Amino acid sequence: MALPDELLAELDELILNYPDRRAGLIPALHRCQEELGGWLSPEILEDCAEYFDMEPVEVYGVASFYPMFHLKPVGKHVVGVCRNVSCELRGASDITSRVCRVTGAQAPGRNSTDMRFYVEHLECQGACADAPMIVVDGVYHENLEPDDVDTILGELS
Amino acid sequence: MPDVIIDGQEVSVPRGTTVIQAAEQLGIFIPRYCYHPGLSTAGNCRICLVEVEKNPKLQVACNLPVTDGMVVHTRGEAAEDGRRAVLEFLLANHPLDCPVCDQSGECDLQNFYMKFGLYDPRFHEHKVKKKKAVQLGPHVMLDQERCILCSRCVRFTEEITETGELGIFNRGDRAELAIYPGGVLDNPYSTNVVDICPVGALTERESRFKVRVWYLSSAPTVCNGCSRGCNMDMHFVLDRPHLNDGRRVVRVKPRHNPDVNQWWLCDAGRYGLGWIDEGRLGEVRERGATSTWDAALAAIARAMQESDRSRVGVIASAQLTCEELFLIREIFDGARVSAAVPEEPGACDDFLVESDKNPNTQGARLLGMAGPVIGDTTGGLGGSADVPDGQAIAQAARSGELDVLWVFGHDLVELFGAESAHEIAQNVGLLVFSGTNENATVELAQWVVPTAAYLEKDGTFVNCEGRVQRIGRVFAPPAGVREDWSVLLELAERSGRPRDSHEPRTIFAALAAAEAAFAGLTYESIGTLGAPVAGSAARVMSKAEPTP
Ligand code: SF4
Ligand code: SF4
Ligand code: FES
Ligand code: FES
Repeated sequence: MALPDELLAELDELILNYPDRRAGLIPALHRCQEELGGWLSPEILEDCAEYFDMEPVEVYGVASFYPMFHLKPVGKHVVGVCRNVSCELRGASDITSRVCRVTGAQAPGRNSTDMRFYVEHLECQGACADAPMIVVDGVYHENLEPDDVDTILGELS
Repeated sequence: MPDVIIDGQEVSVPRGTTVIQAAEQLGIFIPRYCYHPGLSTAGNCRICLVEVEKNPKLQVACNLPVTDGMVVHTRGEAAEDGRRAVLEFLLANHPLDCPVCDQSGECDLQNFYMKFGLYDPRFHEHKVKKKKAVQLGPHVMLDQERCILCSRCVRFTEEITETGELGIFNRGDRAELAIYPGGVLDNPYSTNVVDICPVGALTERESRFKVRVWYLSSAPTVCNGCSRGCNMDMHFVLDRPHLNDGRRVVRVKPRHNPDVNQWWLCDAGRYGLGWIDEGRLGEVRERGATSTWDAALAAIARAMQESDRSRVGVIASAQLTCEELFLIREIFDGARVSAAVPEEPGACDDFLVESDKNPNTQGARLLGMAGPVIGDTTGGLGGSADVPDGQAIAQAARSGELDVLWVFGHDLVELFGAESAHEIAQNVGLLVFSGTNENATVELAQWVVPTAAYLEKDGTFVNCEGRVQRIGRVFAPPAGVREDWSVLLELAERSGRPRDSHEPRTIFAALAAAEAAFAGLTYESIGTLGAPVAGSAARVMSKAEPTP
């Protein structure tokens, strides 16, 4: 078990919120991803399987189902561009191109070569009223023009 | 017991029975992909839609327990429309490579399209591409595009083998069946996933592209790989030797028997039949030279008549049928006879595989031709402690106490070592070997007579739990090869002890009349699923018979 003790202690608390232990799997995967480098390595998935008394194959099935779980290493900053209807109608494609150009990632689903950025497409984030939008390291940036992308990403360390 | 009406017919079923099971009792077939009686219910494919009165929407029959007074329609516009739509979705991304797909001809996508589909396809977009030939393990090949994600194979590895190799990864039209990264599907029961895959996504590597299924003949038999005696269907080709490299056996499929193997087979049994089409003995030989049946049987009969009975030995085999063992016992009355030889116990598990790799040890015991098994846990039927074992007979032969020794199928070199085997051959007046395949004993025997593989003859085996099962006769032996029972009958005739019976059925009748354990049994009462001998503990399988 390679999961750190503090995280395990947190998971012990977390599963108390659910009637069935394995129901805590998804929040647990989120916490692991947040704490352990932004992506879920095979070792982490196997540790989670052990923790939840499931087959690794089931945990892998769950983790691969949801696009918010990354199964490969991601760059330092994760930039998601919403491409659902409202955002698409209000220019999400241009935003995507600009994000790729500024970060140097070839396409959504890729890291920049310097591993500073990981760019991905997102489905509707519930911010349609202020479409188009991007999510940078979990923070929403809404009602964007392509030039705003330069500013937002330029301010990152 | 709720009463339910399905398509106008009423049936009362135990509480918890699902609509698909209740319909089956009425002989009404509801199509299914994900439902399998040996696995948990997934309810994901939706092809089993039925209309339930007072219910606004169609329901899945496999996951709907009947309630009292429920009225179900499996036919009619609503259900049929629903089913057609489900098929259209399932086939939207389907590659339709039926012309090169091994499942073609026994594929439930084809079958249900012809029966319930027959729509004009409306999908003009590009189909999603996935991997076409993924080797999952030593026996199983996966075509991801053909998979309809019914999850039967996943549930098999989760619930039956509990090995968890397979999973469904990703989502939507990218969802795919795959092996856990870095894993291999090589558990001892792996090929069962091919049998339960309702489409051509999982195929057997051994028989892939060998024979179109419509050229296959099929006959029921049982496995001879261990004392469990799993029921199987043998699929073979006889009339197209250019297919399957001239081999007759193409593939083996499990045959459902709730009391023996349920729906499953182990891989060792399934792939343990190569010897039937390879390295077979095809001619009678005297000291290595081709001879005839007539000469062989005349010589053996003469030797038997000339020797004192106590100087005749037979090392029979638990690979022989009950009928043959019975004939040996009767014909060699007074001689030293045993069907037990010292063999290392093989692999076993707590599911199907037994460590005794002989299919008929229990039959030999019941006939008094093998002793009880030390540490036997299967109920230990029969088997008297004073039956000599093959080792003692071999020892007698070695020290010159025997004039005639007949060895059925065994390799003396393998059993007792080369040195002993050679001494036996030297010190015994007449060494006869009968069997199916070449081995080291063939070189040593004076007479070698080629006999039928178990698939090539009729007869019965008694499995480890005391169930008598018929092996049928799948196909005839090759030219020049004879069934052991027919050889024995002729020998009886020639050595002045003729028998009344002339074929396995009547030999069995004589056996049943002589042996209390078999009393009352006939080929009819044994049927295709077997019947327990008297006093057997033939249990009902413990694993996963889903209780409704
Ligand atoms: S799985 Fe069935 S429908 Fe699909 S290609 Fe094979 S035979 Fe055709
Ligand atoms: S491979 Fe076959 S059994 Fe497995 S999920 Fe796909 S269609 Fe079902
Ligand atoms: S479509 Fe982008 S936030 Fe809803
Ligand atoms: S058979 Fe009922 S949903 Fe698949």
